[in-house]
Amino acid sequence: MTRYVVRRILWGVLLLILVSALTFVLFRILPTAEPARLRAGRNASPRVIAELRVDLGLNKPLITQFWLYMRGLFLHGDLGYSYTSGASVRSLIFDRLPATLSLTIGSAIIWMAIGLPIGIVSALRRRTRTDRASMGVALLFISAPEYWLGLIVLYLFAADIGRVKVFPGAGAYAGLTADPWKWFTSLILPWLVLAAGFAAVYARLMRGSLIETLGQDYIRTARAKGLPERQVVLRHGVRAAITPILTIFALDVGVLLGGAVLIETVFEIPGIGRLNYDAITHADFPIIQGTVLLAAVFIIVANILIDIAYAYLDPRVRYS
Amino acid sequence: MSPPDHIVTTEAYQVSAATPVSPSSSPDPARPADAEPLLQVKDLRVSYATEDGAVRAVDGISYELGRGRTLGIVGESGSGKTVAALSVLGLTRAEGAEVGGCIEFEGRDLLALDERELRTVRGNEIAMVFQDPLSSLHPLYRVGAQIVEAIRAHQDMTKAKARARTIELLDLVGIPDPAKRVDAYPHEMSGGQRQRAMIAMALANDPKLLIADEPTTALDVTVQAQILALLSELQQERGMALVLVTHDLGVVADMADDIAVMYAGEIVESAPAERVFAAPEHPYTWGLLRSIPTLDGPREELLTPIPGSPPSPLAPPPGCRFHPRCPYAQPEHARTNPELLSTPGQPDHRVACLLEPETRRGLWRELA
Amino acid sequence: MRSIKRYTPLALAALALGLAACGSSGGSISGSSGIKAPPGVQTPLTESQTGGVRGGTLTVLNHQDFEHLDPGQAYSSVDYEAVYATQRPLYSHAPNAFSAPTPDLASGPPQISADRKTVTVHIRSGVHFSPPVNREVTSADVAYAIERGLNQNVANPYFSSYFGSLEGAQEAEKKANGGPISGITTPNKDTIVFHLTEPKAPILAAALVLPLTAPVPEEFAKKYDAHSPTEYGNYLVATGPYMFKSNSAGKVLGVGYEPGKSATLVRNPNWSTATDFRPAYLNQINIQIGGDTNVIGRQVLEGSHMVENDEIAQSTVQLAYEKFRSQLEISPGAGTGYIAVNNHQGPFANVNVRKALWAALDRVAMNKAHGGELVTNVMTHFIYPEIPGFEQAGGLAGPQVDYNDYPTGNAQVAAKYMRLAGYPSGKYTGATTLQIVGATGSPTSEEAEIVNQTLKNLGFKTKFSLVDKSVMYSKFCGTPSEEIDVCPNVGWVADFGDPQAVLDVPFNGEHIPPSNNPNWGQVDDPTINQHMAAAELVVGTQARAAAWAAIDRELVAQAVAVPYAWDKQPNVESHDVAGVGDVWNLGAWDYSFTSLK
Repeated sequence: MTRYVVRRILWGVLLLILVSALTFVLFRILPTAEPARLRAGRNASPRVIAELRVDLGLNKPLITQFWLYMRGLFLHGDLGYSYTSGASVRSLIFDRLPATLSLTIGSAIIWMAIGLPIGIVSALRRRTRTDRASMGVALLFISAPEYWLGLIVLYLFAADIGRVKVFPGAGAYAGLTADPWKWFTSLILPWLVLAAGFAAVYARLMRGSLIETLGQDYIRTARAKGLPERQVVLRHGVRAAITPILTIFALDVGVLLGGAVLIETVFEIPGIGRLNYDAITHADFPIIQGTVLLAAVFIIVANILIDIAYAYLDPRVRYS
Repeated sequence: MSPPDHIVTTEAYQVSAATPVSPSSSPDPARPADAEPLLQVKDLRVSYATEDGAVRAVDGISYELGRGRTLGIVGESGSGKTVAALSVLGLTRAEGAEVGGCIEFEGRDLLALDERELRTVRGNEIAMVFQDPLSSLHPLYRVGAQIVEAIRAHQDMTKAKARARTIELLDLVGIPDPAKRVDAYPHEMSGGQRQRAMIAMALANDPKLLIADEPTTALDVTVQAQILALLSELQQERGMALVLVTHDLGVVADMADDIAVMYAGEIVESAPAERVFAAPEHPYTWGLLRSIPTLDGPREELLTPIPGSPPSPLAPPPGCRFHPRCPYAQPEHARTNPELLSTPGQPDHRVACLLEPETRRGLWRELA
Repeated sequence: MRSIKRYTPLALAALALGLAACGSSGGSISGSSGIKAPPGVQTPLTESQTGGVRGGTLTVLNHQDFEHLDPGQAYSSVDYEAVYATQRPLYSHAPNAFSAPTPDLASGPPQISADRKTVTVHIRSGVHFSPPVNREVTSADVAYAIERGLNQNVANPYFSSYFGSLEGAQEAEKKANGGPISGITTPNKDTIVFHLTEPKAPILAAALVLPLTAPVPEEFAKKYDAHSPTEYGNYLVATGPYMFKSNSAGKVLGVGYEPGKSATLVRNPNWSTATDFRPAYLNQINIQIGGDTNVIGRQVLEGSHMVENDEIAQSTVQLAYEKFRSQLEISPGAGTGYIAVNNHQGPFANVNVRKALWAALDRVAMNKAHGGELVTNVMTHFIYPEIPGFEQAGGLAGPQVDYNDYPTGNAQVAAKYMRLAGYPSGKYTGATTLQIVGATGSPTSEEAEIVNQTLKNLGFKTKFSLVDKSVMYSKFCGTPSEEIDVCPNVGWVADFGDPQAVLDVPFNGEHIPPSNNPNWGQVDDPTINQHMAAAELVVGTQARAAAWAAIDRELVAQAVAVPYAWDKQPNVESHDVAGVGDVWNLGAWDYSFTSLK
């Protein structure tokens, strides 16, 4: 098992280097705006732009730039400095990370707490009106665009501009350590909006997985043992049905940790997603590199973790 | 599902046409069957609604089983034997089956019980062992834990006591090193051990009746004999009744007191075991017997499979369900479905066939 | 500056109707340009600059982040909001005056020598830097501020346009880190003199309102300017009434400014109202960055002590006009929107074809797409409202020439000019397929489509494409060698209130760089170039207005580009804010004049 983990980690590092290289190349050769031009502003003279390119190290060959970047990253943990503000990318990312973590983790708890029970009930009441109704509603939430849903929710429930003034509106976010109550209340609407789509997906997933599981022979055995139906469904059925869902869950959380730019924009949560988006509009390569790398790290780690966890979740799985 | 031919084990009974059959085990004379049968099935009907119509898996079967006795239910796949077995414990309800008739267990009609009452019977007074222990045991829980669960579902015991009991049970069914094996996962055990564990689980609460649905089909040939021997031993020790559902006549030859042959959802012949082997009365039974290979028969002797294939449960043939495959069918057999009636002189031996008894006996003498 | 459209309007047709019902006469307030705002709506020209209540904290909701806070680099209206509240250039403006600069750090107007080669400015005494520098400002600080513009780590974008004629600038340019410019001398701590190699003093004097001239303490900034790029913007020192919150070392980044998140302006303890024309009522300004513009707008309109100070959503303007009219401000003179056509080669090199397009274009429809009557006026010549010379160049109606007389377009006039151009049928019959490059998004794509359609009606075959705005400027329209025929989505906002800043850069054939070219139409008329060179030398606001107005008329006569919109910028405030907007900065709320109610 240890050898397996070590091997996966090494592959992960290789993958990160590849992702870095790809990001590097993509953003420098695609026909987007040049950072030097953007930084120079309006009708700047060509001389100024040329100066800025030297400033930002953009005049060096691509390989050299990449090498310098990798060296800084691996030797000093240095992710470079923002082209626009000069702030260190590492500090920017760590500054934004708590908000993204708060958003992701809270959302994940809510969507699992809502989606899984609905899926279970739907599976047990297959083809009844309850089932069709809940799956129909789920489809609605899967289709609803996140951004639109966020706006609707604000216009309905925000304390400043909503019809029914229940929860704090956009821009109310405060750090957990700064103001725990405000942190919590300001995240309720974003959590719900972000969780809505996922809860719907997971309800459908759980329903399908449980229906399949309940058709297995060991469920018949459990019933034949005279176990109460609740125990059959939960301990025997759900326990087996949930393992594939956990794989998907780990990946979803991994991806979300890379930033949920739409929710962060609508609700003005200072997370990684918005940092990334702002950097892209300014062609601020160091930040883009940093956030992409971070997102890749989260996904790779989530992958490795769930693979390891799977060995514990399903004893039939063995890694050589 | 099952292959039409089956190599019988060394220990198993060899059926030869010329030699009269004598079963190696007979009901223990020290334990006569009780006057009141333990299980009485009357006109059991089970049907499923499908998109293509109603499937009548079991279409009116009746049989009895006394305490401590063994009944073998034999038939091809699709004959309805498994569904018949499952419906005793009400396990077909989960699949949305319509069940009719009456299943009396110690005087109570099981079909009239609600789920809660039925649960006190399942795994407790009546237990079941299934065909494939690998898929029938939960893959994610340890075997010991699953047995403990079975115990604590019906007995008020601490986990520690239940675990001790579990180890005893594993020992009882012949699993070596039971204190270690109790923490094994199903996939970590061999096929034979798994089935022994399933049996241990079924016996956990001392059931009066054990239903075994094809308990040896998924196992190796050598292991089969061991499992059957185990079942027989346990049954004798506990005075437990046993219903053995199988497609293999060789399996029931040794163990069954009575045999019921099912075809297309109906019982076509039911009789004490030695009668079925010595003097079968239904052409389908003849076909089954003649299609069993023997180890000491001549090598060149061809097996005689039953021509054709079993009918679709959606649309059984009119009249006698076997008539399309019966070499002795007459035109009028397509109109009337025979009832299960006693043969003359043998009240325990019942046959559902339209041929005259004399004709039948004559035909059998020629075949044997 | 290149025009920044600070809102994303869709057709505000309903508002146009509403305005028609109101009528443009009775009881409405007009500015110096004769543009009237609808009744109930504020303009910077009418907002009171005095009598505000002292104290309180204003919350600013901005969708856009700052680009640069360093006065040597700041060059956009959002940046100016903060820079002009914290820095004191030699000259700046009162909120309602675009044309007459107010002496800010300077103590009086600039003195221009007779040969137009020297500009002398006297500086006030008693102006101090904020902590941690604290000391009094001297002329050497202004000199350093301007000289650092040539430091490649600072890379000021407009230095060469306005200060390039300084003696010694060329030599300093050659050095990587800039360095002292011999043409800037400081005879004493209160005086600074600019010596020029060419007689370009008038335009340099006018350019002294730009933030580059705000003093920077060399001993403090030098170490930051040595960084590539400069870090001074993260350690700003202020001279204005407010400063970015900083720590004891003077660090602003992470303290008073969190990129993409927020900024905080607090009072500059070393600022004194005795030395400044600004009242500075507010105690603190909290700027929140980000969010959806629809949401922000509502929050401001329905909330308390808030303003929105950048890109504004169409829904917000609509909501404000309908329900919160007194909280809406419309600021004229927010720049222009016009169509650049290729004067250098292709069908539009012919003046008559250009006139034909001008005549054919339905400018009212373009403006409808652009946002409607509330935020646009039909553009009829090139100097825009509030800039001196606007009236002399024709005012709202513009020069009375037939191709200019029909704001909704006139097919007959267009046909007439096509015939004059050599197409007897009145429609184009040549072989060229026009290359049109517009910008994606709204309303630019709609406007570009209208232009495309108009051209088709004139008989042209077109290759029409929409790209991202910055790509449009950098790759296509701004690169002369691409020879794009029509760029329908360009516009201009002047750097300061001088007509030269409106007409020179976009229409002077003398400056057409091979890349990042702001003369998108490659206009190069030798006569006009000559006249521009002469007008550069004219001194005095009125005289310059007259000289450049004449050039404007010539540009119209040559139809160098096809105009359509004079922009007016909407801004919104909460009900309990007495906002004062700067007409010279797109009406953006001026923190030094705004107060709370």
